[in-house]
Formats: sequence, C-alpha cells, structure tokens
Amino acid sequence: MRFFSFHLMPYPDLPADYDGPAWITCPNELFDPRLGGDLYNRYIDELVYAEELGFDGVCVNEHHQNAYGIMPSPNLIASILARLTSRVRIAVVGNALPLYDPPTRVAEEFAMIDCISGGRLIAGMVVGGGPEYYSFSLNPAHARERFAEAHELILKVWTEPGPFEYIGKHYKLRYVNSWPRPIQQPHPEIWIPGVGSLETLEFVARHRYAYMGIPYFHISVFERMFAMMREACRKEGYEADPLQLGWLVPVFVAETDEEARRRYEEHFWYFVRRLLPGINISPPGYTSVRSTENIMKNAGTFALNLDSWDQVVEGQYAIVGSPETVTELLAANVDRLGVGNLLGLFQLGTLPAADTKRSLELFAGEVMPKLRATFPGTQVSGADVATPAATS
Amino acid sequence: MTVLAPGTVETAVGSIELHRGGSGGPAPLLYLHSAQGEAPGMVLLEELADTRHVVAPLFPGFGASEGLELIDDIEDAAFHLLDVLDRLELPWCDVVGLSLGGWMAAELAVRWPERVRRMVLVNPVGLYVEGAPITEIFGRSLAELADELFADRDYPIAQLMRAMDGMEADPSQIPFDLVRPVLQAQAATAKVGWNPYLHDPKLRGRLGRITSPTVIIHARQDGIVPRAHAEAYASAIRDATVVDLDDAGHLAPLERPGPVATLVVDHLGD
Repeated sequence: MRFFSFHLMPYPDLPADYDGPAWITCPNELFDPRLGGDLYNRYIDELVYAEELGFDGVCVNEHHQNAYGIMPSPNLIASILARLTSRVRIAVVGNALPLYDPPTRVAEEFAMIDCISGGRLIAGMVVGGGPEYYSFSLNPAHARERFAEAHELILKVWTEPGPFEYIGKHYKLRYVNSWPRPIQQPHPEIWIPGVGSLETLEFVARHRYAYMGIPYFHISVFERMFAMMREACRKEGYEADPLQLGWLVPVFVAETDEEARRRYEEHFWYFVRRLLPGINISPPGYTSVRSTENIMKNAGTFALNLDSWDQVVEGQYAIVGSPETVTELLAANVDRLGVGNLLGLFQLGTLPAADTKRSLELFAGEVMPKLRATFPGTQVSGADVATPAATS
Repeated sequence: MTVLAPGTVETAVGSIELHRGGSGGPAPLLYLHSAQGEAPGMVLLEELADTRHVVAPLFPGFGASEGLELIDDIEDAAFHLLDVLDRLELPWCDVVGLSLGGWMAAELAVRWPERVRRMVLVNPVGLYVEGAPITEIFGRSLAELADELFADRDYPIAQLMRAMDGMEADPSQIPFDLVRPVLQAQAATAKVGWNPYLHDPKLRGRLGRITSPTVIIHARQDGIVPRAHAEAYASAIRDATVVDLDDAGHLAPLERPGPVATLVVDHLGD
C-alpha cells in the first residue's frame, strides 16, 4: 500500500458574482498574479510537508487555461519538488502528451526530473482533458493517435540508443537523441490516469502500467472501473498487481466527524460548483463511440450533479471525518476496490492552509499507520517500490 | 417528388453510403451535405430529382459511410470526392453543397475544374474573413445552436435539439442510438475543420481556378456564417453571384426546400 498526497493547485478566489465556467473561457483578468505567487509557494510547501509526515509520494498534474488547477507545467513544480525533497516518489500525473510537439520534450524533462531526484520520478502520461483541446486548438479527432504515437516515441527515447530517426504519422524526427537519460532503468514507473475509457484500460493492461482512477464520480463507478481494469489484465494473461491500481479521492480529517464537516463542506462546494463547471466538455472525436457510450452511463453520477451533503457521503465523493471514520471508510474501499495506491486530495477548492496542514497531520499520524497495518501484504514505501514490469 | 434510393459505392477509404434517383438534366447533380449529414429523405433532393439525376454521397463518418480514419484534413476530403466521382463514372457534374459541403465543392472545383460544370454553394464555410468569424459550432449548447441553424423556431429538428439540450446534465437519459450518429458526424467535421477552424488558408488564393459559373446562396437568418463569406467567394470566383434568401437559417435547404430548389434549377438550367 502506497500513500500519495495529490495537489491540483486550485485558484480559490473566483469572485462571488462570476458564474461562468472555470475552463477555456474563464477570463484571465480574474487571476491575481500576486495571489498566484503566494498560492504556488503555499501549495509547494504542502507537498513538501507530505514527505516530512511520512507519505510515500506526492502528485502533480497538468491543466491549461483554467481556475481548477493553475499548473499548466507540472514539470516545473516537480523539478522544484525533486530538489526540496529527498525520499518521496514524485508522480507527474501526467504530461498531456499530444500537447507537446515534438513529444521528445516530455522524455527530456522527465529524464531531468528523474536525474535531479535521484530516480524518484513516476512518469504519468495522459491524453489531456477535453477542455485542453479547445485551449490548444488541437484537433481532438487526432488525440488518441497522437497519444499512442507520442507514447511509443518517448519509450523509444528512453530504451533505445540514440541518435535514431523516428518517422510516424504525426511526428517526423530525423535525430532523436535525448540528453539526459533517466536514472531508473529501463525507464521510470509509468502511470496513466483515466475516467473509464475502454481504450485506455486496455492500453494500460497491455503495457503493465498503473491505472489511476480520476475522482468526482460515485464510488460504484470506481468499483466498476477497477473491475474492468482487472479484467483487462486477465485478458492479457495476468492478474493485476494492486500497485497497478490507484484511487484518487478528496480526503479531509479533523478531530471529530462534526468538526470535519463544519470545516470542510463550504470548500468542497466551492470546488464542485465553481471549479468543476466546464471540465466535462468532450470535444468531437476525443473518445471513441464505444468509450463514449460507457462514459455516458456514468455521467449522471458526476459530482457536478450533486445537490446535498448526504449525496456526497452516500457516494463517497470525499472521505471526510474523524481519524476513526476516515480509517474505516478508506480501509473498506481499499479492500473493495483492490487498489494498492491511495492518492489523497488533501487541499481542495478554498480549503485554507491551516486546515489542510492539520488534516495532513491527522491523516499521517492516525490514519496511515492503521491502513499500513491493515494492508501489510502490499505495504511498500518510498524508493524501494518495485517498478511494474517494463514494456517490451 | 422523386424518392431517392439508398445504395453504396466502394471507394479507396471504404464503403460509402449514397442516395440517388431521378434522371435527365444537363448534367448529373452531386449534392454535398453539411455537418448535419442531411440527404436521406431530403425534400430538396426529391424535388430536384424530378428533372435530373441526383447523387448524394455521405462523407466518411456520416451515416454508414466508412473510412474516417483515413481522412485527416480537407485535402483528403477533396481527393476522396474525386475518387467518388471516378467510381460513379461521372466525368463531370453540377455540384450543390451546403456549408461544409459547399467548402468541399470549392476544394473539388479548384483542383479539377473540368469535373464541375456549374455550382451552387449554400452558406459555405471554407474561408477566413477578417472581422466576420464563423460561429463556434463545437461544444455549444444544442438550444443555442438550434437558433443559429434555423430561422423557424418551430422547425422539428430545432425542437428536437432544444429537447435534447435539457437532458445534457445527465446524458445517460438520452438513447445512445440518437447520440451515436451525432458523435460520428461531429468527429468527422472536427477531422477537417477543427484547426484551422472550418477554413483552408490556401483556398482563397486558388478560387480563381474555378471555371464553373457559381451562385452563392446566403440565408439572411444564418447564425453561423456571415454574409461576408458569400461575398468573399463571389469576388474570388470568376463567374459568381450572391443571392440572398429570406426566412431561412444556416440549414436553408432543409428549412426552405422550395425556394432553394427554384434557385438551383434557375442556375443549373434544364
């Protein structure tokens, strides 16, 4: 069992009278650069603190032109973390490969972070969110093709001696020869986040990578998603290792259940009602028809449709409560979902620094040790983690 | 009214669905549909088929037409259309194209002008006109789009679009069989028109190569393509005029088949 602290780096100061989407067209006049500077530094501190508290890793991710997560370059943040930490895995979940042209840039920057951190990078690769295809004017009908080709190219960069020529459909490069190369051999552990697209699950299973379930759906959606992932692995002729499965979920711990809800609820609603609107836009051709059909089945349970705290609790959209309650809920879910990686979103929406810090401390002090004891079979820590088998 | 019969034609990218019927006329009439994929059961085509041979192929990704994975841009679309003409053994034809289909007609005519006798472009996209942007069609609410596509709020498709819009918060409530063709049509449109947005920067400079006398119909209530685009086509094509159509939105051939048929027949002749 591995524990990660995941940060979205949200913008907490959208004006009360702004009711538009947080994505694509959210006016950037609303971004206050001075506040932005304070936020980046605060959020980096929260991630660094996770190492001090005993987490196994920290996670950052990539989104563009939005207030939901002001981290267009997670690699910048990851490189700072590489220098400021010494033990935790640094998971970039991930780089949106089709947005990098040529994608050898990803291979280079990830190798840099792996070198600076002494081999602690987890290399996440993602197609990019639907809004990104508007923000980059990048053709969504080419998204999957570009992702597949970029992935193939990056793996070649890491595993085959350069210089070599790469001639694909989307990328034609005469001299591929990355300096630096990553410390981890044959390449860093690879994670792929997803929302249940069949193509993605099959891709992850085929390459024996790890699949990270993206939150904001009813818990039953995760159950189905991870079951589909295990099934996809079986079709490839092996049983999924729990470390190939990760569950990303908002977590908040306070002294008592009442105190937790009292301190957390308004910040959760800011996140759901102010930062999520616009995230679910699905541009044409972005997912295949069969995947869209599958994803649409879950759309009704998307967090944007939540009205009441009871629904949040019932669907476990966030795990909120005393250390005992949080331990109990997480233990039950980890067991049921069969996941070996727990990715906690500890800061969410407008949640202030002091509450985030206290929650992290209670989690690390009173929840994490019990969960580690409950799931000793998959207990692992920090850099000793075995890298899931490399691709062929 | 002459009913068109569905059929298929094998092309380099796969099997293509087409609708054809009627006979006579100075040349076969090729109808190129918009991003809506209209053609089956279309009143305009049934009227035109009374006096001429009409052929309406569906572009890859629309209806049962295969091969979208082999189309990457408007260049591929033009060569696909040439292939369709060859497979149908049409050495030349008249072309009527709506919106996306109008753009494709122009791309065909600039490359192989000898294959196009006369041409009618209805609210065509395909050009970039400074100060007169084409309205965003991707990622929009169906209710808003309905107002831009149709002048008549009560037109049945406009009503259906508004009804589906109300179900967007929980799309699992919409029967997937209704959604599938929409998704496919949008993906096909994105393939050729996402970026550059519904235009080909090289097209304007090539329009002078078109030899066919051309009419560009601009619907006065078109909420998608400003009139400046019709003017831009007309000024760059040697023999071209703009005709304004009243009481019609972007999808004028669906909404006002009678007046559009009259304009087409007037231009193409008997």
